[in-house]
Amino acid sequence: MKRFVYINDDSCRYSYCDNRISNTKYSLWNFLPKNLWEQFRRFMNQYFLLIACLQLWSRITPVSPATTWGPLIIIFIVSASKEAWDDYNRYLSDKKANERKIWLVKDGIHRQIKAQEIHVGDVVWLHENDEIPCDLVLIGTSDPQGICYVETAALDGETDLKTRIIPTISANLSVEQLGKVKGVVECPNPDNDIRRFDANMRLFLPIIDNEKCPLTINNTLLQSCYLRYTEWACGVAVYTGNETKSGMSRGAAEPKLTAADAIIDKLTIAIFMFQIVVVLVLGYFGNAWKYTQGLKQWYLMYPVEGEAPWYDFSIIPLRFELLCSIMIPISIKVTLDLAKGVYAKFIDWDEQMFDWETNTPAHSANTAISEDLGHVEYILSDKTGTLTENKMILKRCCISGTLYGNDNGDALNDVRLVNAISSNDPDVIKFLLVMALCNTVVPIKSNDDTVSYKAQSQDEEALVNAAANLNMMLISKDSSTAEICFNGSKFRYELLDILEFTSDRKRMSVVVKEGQTGKILLLSKGADEALLPLACPGQQIQKYLEAVEMYSQLGLRTLCLGWHDLKESEYKEWSKNFQEASCSLDNREFKIAEVCHSLERDLHILGFTAIEDCLQDGVPETIKLLRNAGINVWMLTGDKQNTAIQIGLLCNLITSEPNSQLLSISGKTEEDILRSLERALLIMKNTSETKDLAFVLDGWALEVILKHSKESFTRLAMLSKTAICCRMTPLQKAQLVAILKSAGYLTLAIGDGGNDVRMIQEANIGVGISGREGLQAARAADYSIGKFKFLKRLILIHGRYSYNRTAFISQYSFYKSLLICFIQILFAFLSGLSGTSLFNSISLMAYNVFYTSLPVMTIIFDKDISETTVMQYPQILLHSQAGRLLNPTTFCGWFGCSLYHALVIFFITICAYSDEKSEMQELSMVALSGCIWLQAFVVTMDTNSFTYPQILLIWGNFVAFYMINLILSAIPSLQLYTIMFHLCSQPSYWISMALTVAVGMGPVVAFRYFKNLYQPSAINILQQIEQSNGSIQTSGNLESARANLLNLLTGSRKNRDSYYHPLLSDSAESARTD
Amino acid sequence: MVPSNGDTAGPSSSQDDPAATMKKRNRPQYHPFTQQQLPACKPILAPQTVVEVVYQYETSCIPGYMLDNEVAYIQNPSIDKTCTRILKVPKDMKHPIYIYYQLDKFYQNHRRYVKSRNDKQLINPKEANNTQYCKPEATEHGSPVVPCGLVAWSLFNDTYSFARGNKELRVHKRGISWRSEREHIFGKQVFPRNFQKGALIGGGTLDPGIPLSEQEDLIVWMRTAALPTFRKLYGRIQVDLRAGELITVTMQNNYNTYSFGGKKALVLSTAGVLGGKNSFLGRGYVIVGLACLLLALLLTMLCLVFPLKEEHLALQYPLPRPAR
Repeated sequence: MKRFVYINDDSCRYSYCDNRISNTKYSLWNFLPKNLWEQFRRFMNQYFLLIACLQLWSRITPVSPATTWGPLIIIFIVSASKEAWDDYNRYLSDKKANERKIWLVKDGIHRQIKAQEIHVGDVVWLHENDEIPCDLVLIGTSDPQGICYVETAALDGETDLKTRIIPTISANLSVEQLGKVKGVVECPNPDNDIRRFDANMRLFLPIIDNEKCPLTINNTLLQSCYLRYTEWACGVAVYTGNETKSGMSRGAAEPKLTAADAIIDKLTIAIFMFQIVVVLVLGYFGNAWKYTQGLKQWYLMYPVEGEAPWYDFSIIPLRFELLCSIMIPISIKVTLDLAKGVYAKFIDWDEQMFDWETNTPAHSANTAISEDLGHVEYILSDKTGTLTENKMILKRCCISGTLYGNDNGDALNDVRLVNAISSNDPDVIKFLLVMALCNTVVPIKSNDDTVSYKAQSQDEEALVNAAANLNMMLISKDSSTAEICFNGSKFRYELLDILEFTSDRKRMSVVVKEGQTGKILLLSKGADEALLPLACPGQQIQKYLEAVEMYSQLGLRTLCLGWHDLKESEYKEWSKNFQEASCSLDNREFKIAEVCHSLERDLHILGFTAIEDCLQDGVPETIKLLRNAGINVWMLTGDKQNTAIQIGLLCNLITSEPNSQLLSISGKTEEDILRSLERALLIMKNTSETKDLAFVLDGWALEVILKHSKESFTRLAMLSKTAICCRMTPLQKAQLVAILKSAGYLTLAIGDGGNDVRMIQEANIGVGISGREGLQAARAADYSIGKFKFLKRLILIHGRYSYNRTAFISQYSFYKSLLICFIQILFAFLSGLSGTSLFNSISLMAYNVFYTSLPVMTIIFDKDISETTVMQYPQILLHSQAGRLLNPTTFCGWFGCSLYHALVIFFITICAYSDEKSEMQELSMVALSGCIWLQAFVVTMDTNSFTYPQILLIWGNFVAFYMINLILSAIPSLQLYTIMFHLCSQPSYWISMALTVAVGMGPVVAFRYFKNLYQPSAINILQQIEQSNGSIQTSGNLESARANLLNLLTGSRKNRDSYYHPLLSDSAESARTD
Repeated sequence: MVPSNGDTAGPSSSQDDPAATMKKRNRPQYHPFTQQQLPACKPILAPQTVVEVVYQYETSCIPGYMLDNEVAYIQNPSIDKTCTRILKVPKDMKHPIYIYYQLDKFYQNHRRYVKSRNDKQLINPKEANNTQYCKPEATEHGSPVVPCGLVAWSLFNDTYSFARGNKELRVHKRGISWRSEREHIFGKQVFPRNFQKGALIGGGTLDPGIPLSEQEDLIVWMRTAALPTFRKLYGRIQVDLRAGELITVTMQNNYNTYSFGGKKALVLSTAGVLGGKNSFLGRGYVIVGLACLLLALLLTMLCLVFPLKEEHLALQYPLPRPAR
């Protein structure tokens, strides 16, 4: 599966697509069918379409088809026009991009064409600050070294500059030659991996020889990046249009479904079943009535037997199906979407989640899942940049056994180190050299000759800066050379090879040639466990281990530095292998790692650096609060175990002994690991509840465990409130999320860097910190916040309120639909089970669209308990975690309530309006008014806090109901003509309404009162506490009540699982000794 | 206690001399306000009685020999269906006295029935041919029936006349329907056509010379009832009836309720503020009141038996997680 791109060759020009970018989902002609198709994939829409079609059959429809078609068409138009608007905007931006002017070189002539006319094989000429129009292989730049800089922020969100190098084969081409170059690029078919490009290139005679030259991602300019600090660059188009790497990695993410949505779907299906049963039963009795009674009713003039069509038996059931179709509220989807949109806006607007330091507001990219925030059970957090500032400073170091910086905690100002440098201690000099050279930092020289550094890794930046402060300054760097200024004199180093850092190797090395002596050196840096095994025998490792242990205890990040002399011949041989491995098209990464490993051996360990990464502001408090709220917090980090544990201690994740124990899952062999896992599991199950238990494991252990005993680990994961997982690769982080998700827990992953993206995408909710490691995580996430501490507000305030509100809105939507449907069903028994609708079409439509949907929207301002109280008693989150406000039981409550209210309304109506007042339209309006009155009181009763929009909408709606109906009553052509005037002038109407409200709400109020008094929920208690805090006297009762409440809230967590026991453990130390 | 104007004039009014004319000039001007003679309504805190006489006649008006075969009796046009009965007025009845007919088990709200009418035809003479929805009572030999549909076709056609002693009590049949309907629903230019001309005769016939807007029995009938038991206004008697008086009612028992075993009744009733006799609302309020009282007692009891301690504020409230 390869693609051959012939440079500047018209013959293969049209075998691939042109560079027309199209992000649009629809075209003009397929918009309607495609959009309809998309919308009809949803069960609810299919259902309503079926109902609407059935309604067109006038024989069976109880009401005018407009009652369903109207709302259905409105819903369709709203979502279709939203889609159309989005698509149109995409079309406009595509058009702008497609019609951009681009310079092309052909046969030595520069031409300007539109971006969309670029074809594969064309040579594109770019100038500084141009946006790159398609994926190019770089073949020439203005820079004599053959490098150029690109900003890839649009592609991967990383804000640093990246260096791109021209392949060696085209390094010597002159500008004229570039215009006429011919050749072939052999590259894989388009894919979406923006970090890989395993290809090679040959240039044809007569220009140069026919040698194959390997290409990597470093030789490419990818679409949507920008060319920076380079006068010009030119490249061969290899992927164009939607086949570019950025084009392939686009694509809408699958919409996430919240737990609340899932329950609503289940409830919908349950209601649907119920409806089918009702329809069948009523249909059966309807037919029975027709044959026993109906035929005797001469005034109905039923056709004589035999004349009826064959489908006659199905008419009555179908009528009931239509009559009962309103059981499933057509408006619930729209109402919920609207409410969710508002929740998301509340997050965006939240001033208290605005980060003043970086000027970033919180943002919710996914508007659909706010309720899930209130359900979170597990938080999986990255460490660096998420819990910590990711502002790295070198604080200590250990060079050939000497510890610097121990006295004042600042190695840079340690006199001994400065002295050692000025006395040219060779080890110290080497140490600084590695710090300055072994990295991928780009020095940027500003106008006033000061140098600043752009780095992908904060550690590297810290090291280079530290080296510069210690007089070893990296001045300039390009693809092949680096210049160092040490104590005022400049040294040149030839950069021969870079053995890149990967998360598997956990180290990087550079091969450099000293400019003066011609000596070849391998400089390495990496994690201690990656580098120490490579040390040449006979070195005093023990001292280093002690130093590392100490540094980790202090929560510092350590890196080990080493070097190694290379012989010219040795290097040449290795270089060939390396070249080969770099050229291989398949499995390249693995092969390169193999080759690198063969060079990185017999290292002279120079020492260790210890970098401090401060905790972010407010992290310990936030973690404590979240843990009190019953959320289990896990830390997943790529860092070392000891560092991770220290950070864990600092940020309240774990407490020190004897209150807690840390279970370490580790071992030298696979059996050891599995045994320690079993032991940890046993201890977890048996420990008393007062102790906090946590487990620690590292990447290797996880790998072994996942291979051999995933079940026990899942059980362990379910038992432990805290875990520290260190040395995790991005994939393993995502795997951990997946394990918790598969166990049925709701997970939230929070991170800031590119290595967290996979876990953020995997988790139910992904939160990104728009931090110093770029915006990559924030872009992939559902929510992005500026600081970790905002998480508590996001979950406890926004998540909790959203959940409460959605719970009410959804159940209320069912309640009101069921209410009116039950009345229709009850009426069926008084109308010969013939399927007559009590309500007229206008009323039915308006009931769903106006009368009941406006008041319920006010609930988006509702707060059951104040924000301060929630923060004070975070345990209350358990309430929503357990889904106590929206579950089949609460729904049954609403179901019962609507049945009761329907009975009340119906019987009061038919009894009060019997005999001479029994008139169809009047009776129907009395029943409808009863519904409106009751629903206004129901909403009022379920509102916890009244703000003016609420009062306005609930009672304004009430007034609107009468206004609308009085107006409708003035139109002679409507059935409603004069009805409302009659009713409003009848005292019996108003008296019946009062009775309806009294009978309908009385028991509900009484029930609530009793429940509040004798079996209050945690929310009720908090409301009472809140109320009493407002008054001056705080009775002793309430004080003790508060204590009890805390007990009960925390105690409740014990019941999480039947076999749940709090953490037991042996400590990290004791675990290590065995 | 009717005050008389004479009191205010006093004895001086009888003297007829110049002084008296002077006094007359001093006489205070008459005004209902100054004289405390403002018109007033006098609410009395006593139940307003609505008197109601219900006379069920569907069986009693059938001659004994036809009792086994009620349907044949009612469907035989050649039998004279006049039926005379004497009703005793139980209490004083003030005018107006409303006359209703009451039908039972009659499903005017049946879907087949409710729909079978065409409102456009009723108001607009040009729409006479519009018999949409009226099936199966839409056309007769190809020409439209006005008014069409089952509702009109099954028009109630029992008639009542009343006499007190030998003197006939006049039944006022004007104004028994809503004015809005006479003016806006039933046309002044629309006359019945082909009505009850089919093979099957449903109910009453209409005088083809009178426009629909004046056929008030039809208008009342076509305002369909929502419940299978309903009363419809037949007319009004504009004189007071005294308790114990005997009223002779002469009924034409034409309407077929025998096919489906429905009852028929004649109802004479006065009306109160809330309309006819209906004790439901009153009972409803009494019951709600009693329930409130009971609840109050219950609460008091509970408070006495289980006094609210602080535990009640924070009692056991386990929050178990949903089972996995």
